[in-house]
Amino acid sequence: MLSLRNLVKVYPGPVSALRGVDLDVPRGMFGLLGPNGAGKSTLMKILAGLLEPTSGEVTLDGVDIVRHPEALRPYLGYLPQEFGFYPYLSGEAMLTYLLKLKGVTAPRGLKTLCAELLERVNLTFAAKRKVKEYSGGMRQRLGIAQALAGDPKLIIVDEPTAGLDPEERLRFYRLLAEVASERTVLLSTHIVEDVAMLCPRFAVIRQGRVMAITSPTEAKAAIQGTIFEGTASTAELVDLQRTRRVTQAVLFEGRNRVRIHAPTGDVPPGFERVPPTLEDAYLLLMKDTREPDAARAPVAEGVREVAR
Amino acid sequence: MNAGRLATVARTELAHQLRRPLFVILLVITFLTVAGLSSGNVTIQSGASQVGGQKAWVTSEFAVAQTLIFLTVLLYSFFASVGSGLGIIADEEARIGPLLHASPLTPREYVWGKFLAVLSAYLLALVALVGFLLFFHHVVPAGENAEFRGPLSLVNYVRPAVLFGAPLLVFVTGAAFALGEGTRRPVLVYFLPVTMLFVCAFFLWDWSPGWLDPRVNRLLQAVDPSGFRWLTETWVKVDRGVAFYNHERVGLDGVFLVNRVGFLVLGLACVAWTARHVERGLRGAQVRPVRGKTLADIPVATPLGTVVYEEAPLASLGMGARAPGVLSGLWVVARAEVRGLLSQPGLYLFVPLILLQTVVQAMNQLGPFETRLLLSPGFFAVRSMGVASTLVCLLLMFYTVESLEREKAWNLAPIHDATPVPTLSVLLGKALANSLVGVAILVAVSVAGVLVQLSQGRVPLTLTPYLVVWGLLVPTFVAWTCFVLLARAVSGGRLGAYGLALAALCLTGYAAVRGHLNWATNWPLWGSVLWSDMGAFERDRTALLLNRVGMLGLSVFFAVLATRLDGRRAPDAVNTLERLRPAGLLRGAWRMLPWAVVPLGVLLLAAVEVGQGWQGAAAKKRAKEYWQKNLATWLDAPRPAIQSVDLDVELDPAAGTFHTRGSYTLVNREAKALAAYALTGGDHWEDVRWTVEGQDVTPEDRSRLYVFRPPTPLAPGAVTRVGFDFHGRYPRGATKNGGKTDEFILPSGVVLTSFGPSFAPVLGFLDDIGIDPEENKYEPRVYPDDYYEGPTRAAWGTGVPFTTRIRVTGPAEYTLNSVGVLESDEVKDGRRVSVWRSDHPVSMFNIVAGKWAALRGEGTTVFHHPAHVYNVEDMRRGLDAARRYYSEWFYPYPWKELKLSEFPGLATYAQGFATNITFSESIGFLASSTPEANAVLLITAHEAAHQWWGNLLVPGKGPGGEVLSEGTSHYSAMKLMEQLEGPQVRMEIAKRLEERYAKDRRVDAEQPLVKLDNTREGDNTVLYDKGGWVFTMLEDLMGREAMHAGLQAFLRQYIPDADHPVLQDFIATLRPFAPDAAAYDAFVRQWFHEVHVPEYRLSDARVKQEGGQWVATVTVRNVGDGRMPVEVAAVKGARFVPRPDGESGPSKPSPDYRDARGRVVLGAGETAEVTVRADFEPERWVVDPDVRVLQLRREQAVLAL
Repeated sequence: MLSLRNLVKVYPGPVSALRGVDLDVPRGMFGLLGPNGAGKSTLMKILAGLLEPTSGEVTLDGVDIVRHPEALRPYLGYLPQEFGFYPYLSGEAMLTYLLKLKGVTAPRGLKTLCAELLERVNLTFAAKRKVKEYSGGMRQRLGIAQALAGDPKLIIVDEPTAGLDPEERLRFYRLLAEVASERTVLLSTHIVEDVAMLCPRFAVIRQGRVMAITSPTEAKAAIQGTIFEGTASTAELVDLQRTRRVTQAVLFEGRNRVRIHAPTGDVPPGFERVPPTLEDAYLLLMKDTREPDAARAPVAEGVREVAR
Repeated sequence: MNAGRLATVARTELAHQLRRPLFVILLVITFLTVAGLSSGNVTIQSGASQVGGQKAWVTSEFAVAQTLIFLTVLLYSFFASVGSGLGIIADEEARIGPLLHASPLTPREYVWGKFLAVLSAYLLALVALVGFLLFFHHVVPAGENAEFRGPLSLVNYVRPAVLFGAPLLVFVTGAAFALGEGTRRPVLVYFLPVTMLFVCAFFLWDWSPGWLDPRVNRLLQAVDPSGFRWLTETWVKVDRGVAFYNHERVGLDGVFLVNRVGFLVLGLACVAWTARHVERGLRGAQVRPVRGKTLADIPVATPLGTVVYEEAPLASLGMGARAPGVLSGLWVVARAEVRGLLSQPGLYLFVPLILLQTVVQAMNQLGPFETRLLLSPGFFAVRSMGVASTLVCLLLMFYTVESLEREKAWNLAPIHDATPVPTLSVLLGKALANSLVGVAILVAVSVAGVLVQLSQGRVPLTLTPYLVVWGLLVPTFVAWTCFVLLARAVSGGRLGAYGLALAALCLTGYAAVRGHLNWATNWPLWGSVLWSDMGAFERDRTALLLNRVGMLGLSVFFAVLATRLDGRRAPDAVNTLERLRPAGLLRGAWRMLPWAVVPLGVLLLAAVEVGQGWQGAAAKKRAKEYWQKNLATWLDAPRPAIQSVDLDVELDPAAGTFHTRGSYTLVNREAKALAAYALTGGDHWEDVRWTVEGQDVTPEDRSRLYVFRPPTPLAPGAVTRVGFDFHGRYPRGATKNGGKTDEFILPSGVVLTSFGPSFAPVLGFLDDIGIDPEENKYEPRVYPDDYYEGPTRAAWGTGVPFTTRIRVTGPAEYTLNSVGVLESDEVKDGRRVSVWRSDHPVSMFNIVAGKWAALRGEGTTVFHHPAHVYNVEDMRRGLDAARRYYSEWFYPYPWKELKLSEFPGLATYAQGFATNITFSESIGFLASSTPEANAVLLITAHEAAHQWWGNLLVPGKGPGGEVLSEGTSHYSAMKLMEQLEGPQVRMEIAKRLEERYAKDRRVDAEQPLVKLDNTREGDNTVLYDKGGWVFTMLEDLMGREAMHAGLQAFLRQYIPDADHPVLQDFIATLRPFAPDAAAYDAFVRQWFHEVHVPEYRLSDARVKQEGGQWVATVTVRNVGDGRMPVEVAAVKGARFVPRPDGESGPSKPSPDYRDARGRVVLGAGETAEVTVRADFEPERWVVDPDVRVLQLRREQAVLAL
């Protein structure tokens, strides 16, 4: 169990990136959802032992990893949001080097393991190529390979699907889902679909605070029956945005397809009740202007409260 | 190119450059440096600054030019390179390129904009430098140095800035720009200024032997990016006097203009190339066209159809993990680092540079009289130590910092730092890999050394000295690398790390220059280690060991501290402040204490060793007390003379100890009775006992000046015998920082002299004990013009020759030499006892002992280290010839034997004690001769001449006295060289002495020979080289026989005389022998009493054929001063047949050589036309073809026809 208690991070300025985060992350896949600048990457870096928090506590199975970041490293698989490799090494050599640094062992030797990992991320064809010749997606896949290597207790992946094409994204999901069965995987993303697809539980973070901790099902259930969808012209949309709680507005065949949150069922003509999506729940949370203290609840209370 | 976009780029970059800490640091350093320099510490090396007279102004155009050049090369080139070269690399690391280049901005606008901004920034810094100079020279000048300042002239500042500073900055910024963009390697950007600095400082600015072809010299001037070589060679090298430098402008010539314009163009060309390179790089790497292939034949970058979903689960791979240990992690990191290093071009540039620099430095080290030296492995290794350690430390600094920055630069840090490999492994792994580069360099230098020795073909090869000497440097490299790790950890970034490391290096350099380094602080071992083939590191062995262990201890301390401070996890600002509070710091210090115990303890022991040694503070204080207590009373107190010396000296070289028992028989030769007399004892003496006439006495101990007060004053002519008995270790304890030691008792050899109280008392007060040059130096004194009239005291020794009987006891395997003849030599119980008795009175005595082989000649013997056989035959030949010819020419040699003994190279001198000459191994024994200039013979002949000039004749103390020792010995040596080797060798040697004189003299400070006291800069060459030349020219004037007769009369008169002669006595004695008294007087006035040197130029040479003859005409002008008859010859062919290496005897004249001579006598500025008729077609005109007239720039007194 990964536990975070009252985690605060203040950068010189001063600006606060984390403003007292409390979170318990159980075994399995756990999502961390939030908009850009919410503090997700700061939180990931602290958990990975790359950034010292200003205060607070982080424990992994009872071990304080703020005081002893080195205690976590043997059990950590980490895929940062932004990273690079030695450009003069081949993909294979780079991965082998990182496996050695991580102390990874394999019954058939590191060379074979390296080849198999590269195969898992579909890089066998480029194993001998210098990393500087890799595309963005190939680099991302090499990063994924090193993050999954070994036997980590905790895997932290920060925006992992950036740069991946749909096919590779699916392949990565499968890998993550597999490894998550026996360990804690913390997936930080702003893509709701990733969370919906992978995470039985997730936390929503905004402005350095946890807004909600819930599951996709609970989040959706909390707003069941309150989401309506219809079409509107641009002028009508402006009016709707002023008078209603619009969760989404997307262009479809030249018209605005608008989803609004109406707990009372009072909706404009032409709008029909539709099943809620996780995105509806997430966007409702993001549009809430209240301080998120009240929203910090172990289940979907936050979403419910916002929905009320 | 769009001017608007270009200006936008330039403005943005300029604002960035001006705000950078790098730029601010440069301004601060410049400000502080200029403040320091404005005190008059840096001036043109001219002027009699020590003795009054006009000073060279720091405000003159020449001085400002020099200051500007030094600062721009030392400081500005480094900062401008970094500011310029890293600009594009920084943009790449910030990943701004795609955005920039997706805009309408063209690569040319981008590159030129950035370049102009960097250049503008550093030109502004140059303006600031000029402003600081003006400020400190004219607004707030240092009051105590007013004489170093001239009136304000803006041109003096602006011209050097424009002519020297600006072109250099354009070149450096342009080249660094190209280097940074072309390679994207920061290390190579640093490589540029470092290379430039070393090439300039150690080659272009420094290397200018007299034999260098003037065309090559001009070429080197043209390729010096700083322009300093041109300035030196054209204007400063041959001193033109203070007035010239203070008032004249730096005159320009074609070479200079080509040089400055060339570097301007080169810098701009680099920028143009950079723009082109960026433009090409934007479109990706070029692909070579593949003939016969279509696009379909070329594989796609990412093949389709490779996605397979039916993989076994990851769990099936059976992966496990075990955090790597420190050693295994270190190994992994080090291997990867080595791979990275090998992939970098910097390695292949730095290593040859260091190799070249080290080898050239080692090979260019010169012995006495600027003779080249044979390099034995140990000498080569030690001589290259300083340069190698400095350069390798610089390289390690760059590589270590860049290596630590690599993960950050390539954005691998988040992944790398999250791995479980221990931080210590990462740091030490990188350090180890980089250290391997240092080791590779040392191996390369060793190989180069081996090649040098092979090329010399004389010195046998052994690898042990390399292993021992380089082994000593390993702790230096380890400690330095760990310090750099710590500097990076503390500063958290590249520039901070460089700043701290360079500051440490500069501080060490400053301490070294100021003489503040000692065995506890000298981490790079600069100037402390000396080599001897006769025994390695015998002196200061304990201090050296403590120093090295201390450095290893410091390495561990630095490494641990670096590990604790290393920013693998970015620290929180709030927590950092908390940790910096006193309590937090104390806690941190307490945790580090165990790691500091070993280095602190060991280095403290080294400091104690130094403090208790003979150069320590306590010894200095005692020496000062000796001076303070006794100077006023005893400096000029009348003293008795030594009549005879009877010594019994027991030596234990293994322990470094001696025991002396003996007595001096003293006689009062003064006109009055002596109520007291004094003997100076050694600070290292223990259990000192004295007797007078066999009775124990306790003289007054005035800080080691033992004052005897006999019950009744010693009447004139009365004799007394003072006995003594003491023992000690010599030298006692460690030196302060290694370096040379004049006298010593070591297993490899013993050298002890009567100059000081090392093994025997010295009569009277010694005025050189307790003298600190900055506190209580009282020489040079101003002597009255007639100071020499009446009895003049001897320049050294007691002045009255005495007899000696010296019994030396030592281990049986040693030969024990002293002055006189060997009366007996016995070995008993493993101890040798040699008794030496003077067969003719001597003025000084010494003991020299060693385990030698001997080569005997005609009444001469050369005692040498068995391996040093290279030159002993020449030395024997020189001794034999000296003994024979000097006896014929000057005065019969009165002693039976003439010995020359070798001692370990802990000192680099030769001393000509009567019958017992001592040579350091690096003098003569390891000299390297050429067929044209037999250096060994020259040195031997000079030192042998001191048997006459210095021993038989002890000159008087005062100005002009020493010329009768050193100048006459040089003259004697030149005569002997001609006698043995013929005119070619004499001419070659004479030219070298002349070149040295022209190079080292200080025209304003130069004293006439009669006033020369050898205390000023530049006096040495006047004493030796000009002195030798003047006596030679005097012989040309008087004629050989008349000169010999005069010299013999002079020696006959003064050898037995208590009045010791100076130059005026010499001049007066020789005058009656001069065939032309008026010419003699004119010569004496010009060369002894005044300072004049002619300098000839030839012009308007023409030749025409008249019948079967050629009529050649040339105009000769004396652009120097001094009037001398000089021959001018129209010449054809080479004068001598080249002599094969190793051949001795006179050179053969070339049968093809022809000359036709004319003769002119030209005063300062005078011109004459010379016409000669020749029955051959002349090829060139030469002034003074026989090298008979001392002159400046002889190489320019030649004109090809």
